Amino acid sequence: MPKTEYLQGALDLLILKTLALGPNHGWGVQQRIQQVSRETLSVSQGSLYPALHRLEAAGFLSSEMTTSENNRKARVYTLTAAGRKRLDAETEDWREFALAIRRLLQVG
Amino acid sequence: MAFLSRLRALLQRPRVARELDDELAFHLEMETQAHIARGVRPDEARRRALATFGGVVQTREAVRDVRALSIESLWQDMRYAGRTLGAAPGFTLAAAGMLALAIGITTAMFTVLDSLILRPVPFRDPDQLARVHLERRPRIPPTVLRAWRESPAFEAAELARRDSSLVEAGATVVTATVATVTPGVFDMLDARPIRGRLFDDSARDGVLMSETLWRSLFDADPAVIGRAIRVDRRPLTIVGILPAHFRFPTAATALWRRLEIDNAGQYAYVRFAKGLPREEAVRLAVDAAEAVDPGGARVTLGVYPLAGAQDTYSTRAVPLLAAGVGLVFLILCANVCSLLLARLTARRREFSMRAALGASRGRLVRQALVESGALGVLGIAGGVGLAWALVSLARALLPEVVVAQSLNPLALDGRAMAVSSAAGCAGTLLAGLLPAWLGTRFDAQASLRVIDRGTTESRGARALTRTLLVGEVALACTLLLGGALLVRSFVNLVTADRGLQAAGVSMMWINLRAAAPADPALEALVRAIEDDLRGLPGVQLVAWSYGVPPRGGVQGSGDWFPDAPNSAPISMHVDRHIVSAEYFQLYGIQILKGRTFEPSDPRTSVIVSERFAQALWPDADAVGRTFRVEDASLQVIGLAREIHYPSVDRGVDVPEIYHPFTLQSLPMVSVRCHSSCPDSAVFRHLLAVRYPEVRVQSAGAIERDYARELAWPRVTAALAGAFAVIAVLASAGGLFSVLLYTVGRRRREFGIRTALGASPAQLRKIVLGDGLTVTVLGIVLGSVAALSLTRVVESMQYGVTMSDGLSWAIVLGLLVTTTLAAAWRPARTAARIDPVVLLREE
Repeated sequence: MPKTEYLQGALDLLILKTLALGPNHGWGVQQRIQQVSRETLSVSQGSLYPALHRLEAAGFLSSEMTTSENNRKARVYTLTAAGRKRLDAETEDWREFALAIRRLLQVG
Repeated sequence: MAFLSRLRALLQRPRVARELDDELAFHLEMETQAHIARGVRPDEARRRALATFGGVVQTREAVRDVRALSIESLWQDMRYAGRTLGAAPGFTLAAAGMLALAIGITTAMFTVLDSLILRPVPFRDPDQLARVHLERRPRIPPTVLRAWRESPAFEAAELARRDSSLVEAGATVVTATVATVTPGVFDMLDARPIRGRLFDDSARDGVLMSETLWRSLFDADPAVIGRAIRVDRRPLTIVGILPAHFRFPTAATALWRRLEIDNAGQYAYVRFAKGLPREEAVRLAVDAAEAVDPGGARVTLGVYPLAGAQDTYSTRAVPLLAAGVGLVFLILCANVCSLLLARLTARRREFSMRAALGASRGRLVRQALVESGALGVLGIAGGVGLAWALVSLARALLPEVVVAQSLNPLALDGRAMAVSSAAGCAGTLLAGLLPAWLGTRFDAQASLRVIDRGTTESRGARALTRTLLVGEVALACTLLLGGALLVRSFVNLVTADRGLQAAGVSMMWINLRAAAPADPALEALVRAIEDDLRGLPGVQLVAWSYGVPPRGGVQGSGDWFPDAPNSAPISMHVDRHIVSAEYFQLYGIQILKGRTFEPSDPRTSVIVSERFAQALWPDADAVGRTFRVEDASLQVIGLAREIHYPSVDRGVDVPEIYHPFTLQSLPMVSVRCHSSCPDSAVFRHLLAVRYPEVRVQSAGAIERDYARELAWPRVTAALAGAFAVIAVLASAGGLFSVLLYTVGRRRREFGIRTALGASPAQLRKIVLGDGLTVTVLGIVLGSVAALSLTRVVESMQYGVTMSDGLSWAIVLGLLVTTTLAAAWRPARTAARIDPVVLLREE
């Protein structure tokens, strides 16, 4: 059973990281997160789309309506320069956080 | 960037919405395709995609929440708020009305405060302006004024005096306050005429007229410049009109005549030089005066502000009233707050539904805030209108003595508007924020469960409403007690025994302009004037005096030596009146013992008042006794009834002694008429026509002077009473709405109680008890607050104290009565809940 709840910051990190690999649409981001985490992490649409739009409004992503190969309209998100900086910062934060947790667990 | 995308979102609303729909549809499609690729049948694939997707609507709503569409949704919220408020007109009217009342009275009170206390001198750099005089000198010599004009201490030094004069314009005759001023006054105060010009050197007989008099006398006729009017029979030419807001040297000044600097005056009006410390400037001014003043004596400069309430009563009353308004403001806001809270909680179902449909809490709070904001806007609009009406009312109703304390006309201006907007925003936030927060506190899943269920109040809401109510009652209790004491003081002042009949008596203080006091022609002049006055219709009695009640006599203080052997001198203040024999009959002052004056009486005969006699001869008859004061030995020929001057200032009511009248050049003449005397203009006109050499210094009804002392107590009592009534009604209204709402929430509970055998009386008791608990707590808190104010209110009381039983009885009685009245209907509703009906509803 995939875990469905995470910290807000973690979701942002996942999205930014995924888009760092190249522009993608919402469904693609969702699929990639699932694949890369080997089905451990799954993001519901209800959290994904608000997060995408929030990150875009904050200027970390830009988006464009495109027409896909089967003639469907899709919104494709691209990481902006500000987003890249944000990703670096968040990655760093996350590493520290994870390290701290690991140390804490090792104590016992 | 973020803002731009928001703006884009608003401007391209349909497109953005469409794009979002496309985006979500694409997602669904991809999901479906993925299922199909794994070999699922297309219709089943679509079903699964939809199932994993969750709610499309929720997602869209959630995206809208973060995305920016805040301006759009604000607009949506506003329209929604408009519809909601429109759907409950009673509630909207009550809440907006209370806010408007709060904002209106706060603004109006601030306007009064601003005019009387904060900015009584509405000129440039008012702190630099002052009225100065030389202490122990009757007037400022022209040489000193010239020296001051040269001195670096002052930017300007001018003269201004005022008189009341008879003004004739065509056939109209009015008495008006006329000032004579040196022309530099207008420069000093930056006054510009709205018509015509200021004084120039060409015409010496020019006169400037106030806009107010111009409107009333000439109907604002622009062709009035150059026209002639007569002031005290002297023809003058109108050269200009000064705007209504220019009020100097007194508030009521209607005409300005030219004064030359060679005329010495008692006071000079100066503008101190900027950047010079005040002590330094005063020292320079004193040096300059001493250098040119041949008298050689030391000079002391008395410096006073141009205007402003300076007596202890008004300087205490106005801030106290302002604080009272503050309390009323808080009560009304608290009331709106509890009303909003009750309503929001009653609308729980609607909010739960919206939460279940995907509205975030932020959105709900914002929705609630937008609603209270809309109420705030209504309230501010109403409040500004109300403030305008109240200020107009205050201008009409505030006694002249009160308004005259300021040169700043009572008017709603930018400052007042700023205060009302600030009050409005504060009120809206105070009233709207907490209810919005508390009223929306439930999560979507839990709220779905409570749909359709009436539960009891939430604990937070209950604690908040009860705290608000207790606070309201406490404030109302404090205000009511203060109001009761002030009203009682005023009633005591009005009904206090004056010891004389002032109604129907007018007086004139005239300057006979005699060359010498012993001039034999003077006696004839006085007789002639007296006969003319007697000839006026309605005049009954005429009496001459120096000094008229109240407090009109010569203030005598010092040591009074009674004639009893070995008795110690008595030190006290005494009012000494010099009166003709008719004086006692005219004023209705009873001669209790002895007799009144006869022409043969020597100047050492006196009539004393009861208090004076009591002080000097505590156990003996005063008539026939003698006493010494300074070097004179005086004999008591009569004992007069004590006359009182009711005033909160206890120092002004002193004993009297009366001396026989001797003619001098500044006598006062009192006239008693049937019912009431003609207007003072009639007397003035008579004298002006018949005796051009005589000048009337002042004239008016005696009652007016008593009324002056009552003016402030009347205003304070009326306002404090009004505030108290508003406060009590508001807190009762608050109690009513909260109790009614509580009963609504607790219907199930009451139904169950009834089903289990509770009687209607028991249910009533629960609700009444709820209300009374609030009131009792409020009364306790309010009394403590009131007691801490004892000192402040003490100086404004007359004949009552904080321990006044009647006042407390009124307060307790009123509060308990209003509580019961407010709780009655909710209690009856509770008692009438029918469990059967309730069951059927379930």
